[in-house]
Amino acid sequence: MPEIFINGQSVQAETNQTVMQAALANGFYIPYFCWHPQLSIAGNCRICTVQVEGRSWVEIACNMPVSEGLHILTDSDLVRAHRKATMQFITLNHPVDCGICDKAGECTLQDYHFAYNGSPSVSREPKVHATKYHDLSARILLDNERCILCSRCVRFTREISKSNALGIKNRGDVSLVRAAEDSPLDGDPYSDNVVDICPVGALLSKPFLQKARVWYLQPTPSVCPGCERGCSVSIWHRKAQWHLRALDPAQNTSIARVTPLENPAVNGPWICNKGRDLAQVFERPRADHALLKGKPVELAVAIAAARKLVGEARHAVALVSSWGSNEELAAFKTALAGRFTTFVKRDHEAMPGERIEDDLLIRPDKNPNTAGARAILGESSTGEPAFPADTDLVLVWGEGCNFARLPATAKVVFLNSYLQPENGHADVFIPISIQTERAGHYTNFAGVVSRFERCFAKNPSVADAQELFAGLAVGTAVTS
Amino acid sequence: MPGKQLLMTFPVTATSHTLAAYLARGGYATLRRALATMKPEDVTKEVTASGLLGHGGAAFPAGRKWGVVHLNDNQPHYLCANADEGEPGTFKDRWILENAPHLLLESMLLASYALQVRNAFVYIRGEFDLPYRRLAAAVEEAYADGYFGERILGTEFSCDVVVYRGAGSYVCGEASGLLSSLEGKRGYPRNRPPRLTVQGLFKRPTVVNNVETLANIAGIIAHGAEAYKKVGTAKCPGTQLVSISGHIARPGVYEVEYGYPMAKFLFEDCGGMLPGQPLKCIVPGGISTKVLTAAEVEPLTFDHQSFAGAGSSLGSGGMIAIAEGTCMVRLLQVMLRFYHHESCGQCTPCREGMGWMHRIIDRIVAGQGQPEDIDSLYRISRLQDGMTICGMGDAAGYATVGILDKYRSEFEYWIREKHSQLEGNLEGAVHA
Amino acid sequence: MDGGQPMKHLIPEFEKLKARFPAGFESSLVLPCVRRIQEDRGFVADADIDGLVEYLGVPRIQIEEVLSYYTQFRRKAIGRWHLQACRNVTCSMRSAERLIDHLSRRLGVAPGQTTPDGVFTLSTAECLGSCGTAPVVMVNDTYHENMSVEKLDRLLDELKGS
Repeated sequence: MPEIFINGQSVQAETNQTVMQAALANGFYIPYFCWHPQLSIAGNCRICTVQVEGRSWVEIACNMPVSEGLHILTDSDLVRAHRKATMQFITLNHPVDCGICDKAGECTLQDYHFAYNGSPSVSREPKVHATKYHDLSARILLDNERCILCSRCVRFTREISKSNALGIKNRGDVSLVRAAEDSPLDGDPYSDNVVDICPVGALLSKPFLQKARVWYLQPTPSVCPGCERGCSVSIWHRKAQWHLRALDPAQNTSIARVTPLENPAVNGPWICNKGRDLAQVFERPRADHALLKGKPVELAVAIAAARKLVGEARHAVALVSSWGSNEELAAFKTALAGRFTTFVKRDHEAMPGERIEDDLLIRPDKNPNTAGARAILGESSTGEPAFPADTDLVLVWGEGCNFARLPATAKVVFLNSYLQPENGHADVFIPISIQTERAGHYTNFAGVVSRFERCFAKNPSVADAQELFAGLAVGTAVTS
Repeated sequence: MPGKQLLMTFPVTATSHTLAAYLARGGYATLRRALATMKPEDVTKEVTASGLLGHGGAAFPAGRKWGVVHLNDNQPHYLCANADEGEPGTFKDRWILENAPHLLLESMLLASYALQVRNAFVYIRGEFDLPYRRLAAAVEEAYADGYFGERILGTEFSCDVVVYRGAGSYVCGEASGLLSSLEGKRGYPRNRPPRLTVQGLFKRPTVVNNVETLANIAGIIAHGAEAYKKVGTAKCPGTQLVSISGHIARPGVYEVEYGYPMAKFLFEDCGGMLPGQPLKCIVPGGISTKVLTAAEVEPLTFDHQSFAGAGSSLGSGGMIAIAEGTCMVRLLQVMLRFYHHESCGQCTPCREGMGWMHRIIDRIVAGQGQPEDIDSLYRISRLQDGMTICGMGDAAGYATVGILDKYRSEFEYWIREKHSQLEGNLEGAVHA
Repeated sequence: MDGGQPMKHLIPEFEKLKARFPAGFESSLVLPCVRRIQEDRGFVADADIDGLVEYLGVPRIQIEEVLSYYTQFRRKAIGRWHLQACRNVTCSMRSAERLIDHLSRRLGVAPGQTTPDGVFTLSTAECLGSCGTAPVVMVNDTYHENMSVEKLDRLLDELKGS
């Protein structure tokens, strides 16, 4: 455990650390573009230079091993001069696109320019031009002029997602990041992580392109429901004080983008593309009217009707949603588990072509809380649903039920969030809130419990399952 | 000849490069004796004792480089001869490849034995034509006679060699860029640590030595370190092959004993300058070394200390003699165009800086120079120095600063008058 | 030309080459295999890349990068005779620029272009390591040293006739 000194202060470093790692771990900031804690060392941007006390030159910190008694200066005049020079080199041919670039407001280059340079260009030469708006894949746009060739994206596809999709072609200042010509980036389910780790506005998400300035958005911590990994994510939506008044109000309650929320216990700094597309899941047309056999009724009327059915049933089966939060599941157990033979349903299955499982993040169960449901409702709930011949009530909670398999003689109470034809066939249909409209917890496949926060207010005509379950049991005879 | 000769010790004929001729000169006898009577560490000790310096440009002691490789560490070691010879002005390794390929091969076998190398490589620049054919033929001859392959000369020592052709990239002459290329990828140089002798080719300990450095090994083992040290100077033992070109009367490859007087070398051995082409300056050792004016070079001796004292370096042994009447602005333009073309593009200062310097000098040559351009060239050079992954940043800086320091007035003239002081001429007294 | 077919006949040569390398050095084989394919076809076709990916098991992007990075590799056919004239320091000091102008005028193309009849491609090159015999012009794989305008004219006539 070598002791090193950073700006005169003693720091306990770890044996195989680099100066960069030791500094960041101990509250000293050293700027970096190409370095990333999860990727191999490239050492090409040269912005992380520091000075060893007593030497008259600077060296990169990301590749410098710590050693006992090493004295480092991270902010000497020499270091500052070199940082400024490096910024001059990096911005030499960088287009001043900030006004039209999505990365503005979260751009490392912008931040470092103001922190370490701040002066106009010292060059008289016209900037070198390169490809703008190159289709790197169906999801990602590349602007080569903005690219500073840090190679983070290339290293990500070689070391993390292992798709080997990206590389750098040509050489010198005509080098270009490019995808392999057989388009493997389209087949890389982790491709969009390169948009996050790109320190400039070179790699941009096409779905998010020019949707909103990032400073109008706020990230709400959430959990991706795409599989039982339950990656921590940030769901970005407009800040309350920036809600639009003149334009489409739907923009105020829509998901602008989804990014990873770093979580060492679950997903590190990555998510797969499915998590990026959560808007496609959560913003499907919603069911917002309660129905009795297809006839719209007030929510309270539907709840009363459902309560009556629950009270009268002798042999009831419940198909419980694996998208239910731990709180909802606990409420179900308390209020209703005694009355139902309960099965946990896999609301979603893998789509054709979707990766089932890999060594990185993707897990085979495409639902967020099967583990939570099992823990709360017991092992017996995880079997294949069976409907005895005398089943007289089926409570279906959530998607993914094959209604054709339900016994024809049973009544059906259906709790769902989205518009589906089956909504109209149920005896009682009650619309319920979705994940982004409440807070709660999921338990992932490894037993890690993660919390998601509320992003949006729910429609008042829609129920919260957690409150609903108690209401379905009220005033009925208790049989157990 | 410029002092004692160690390598160019036989007349070059139509067949002097063949195995038969090499054997007749005593070839492979040293290998036979070393395999029979020396341990690997003995070979390294002898090389270290000789003080043999690297001949690729860095002058790093070869024995010290070899010494970093741990013997018996249960992993493969690799040896690679650097035959990428791309430094403009340099063509001396070529002499060895064309005329003494077996000297190189025997030396590589000795080095492989010393370093416990089972697989050796010669990385040769892709453009080389005759040097490649001669070397490839020599390798086949050596295999046929059992000098490569399994259980060489009846001993336990086995070694294979592959001649690996580059494909046109100057930075592949840099040892780590060379290994990246040898791994079948772009020739991207690497940051150190780790040193290549710790993690080189596919992360294994690898020794990369210049062709000429290696070619000296056979002689050192044959005659001993002491004999080697009797040649040259105390600090620079031995000789160096020098390739001289430009406006010199007898361009070619010469073997120069370290310590030999430069004036004698230029004006006697090389026949002096071409008629009507008095010496203006020289590029001492490839364009990445600082130019020396005629007055500065004449009192020097051919060794590292003398040239360092004059503010330059022996570099790669690629000497260019430049005559009066040659426009130094245009000359620097050619050099910067070269560096710009060859930058691998990996690191910020070189990738952006080479293009920047090239564009500045193009603008000066086009008659659109500004007075601050000279300071810009100095500043960019200074900011690249020591800041790049490989030495190319430094190299372009030395080339630029060397010429600006000595010939600033030509640049000021062009900027002020919008044309060359010397008609943009590169041919000395000859004009188009 | 179809799929990996044109490359398959080179595989016995590649196997012999592989035998000289240590085990597990498939990646290293990229450069020699690419060079050999180019010698055969004149350039490296997309199908050759696919074939090489299959044969060596390296990522396709690696081969694409290599093809774009090195000066000597090309993905398109060029003229029958590739004239590469060095224009680095010594060659320029020994009249290379005049030679290149002459070649350009005589062939009617600028450096980087191919004559319309597909016979000659003219390029400039950086230092070829032949400064002692400057100026130097490479014709395909062969160094032509100590060139002059007269020698070039004779050379072009010979090449045109062949």
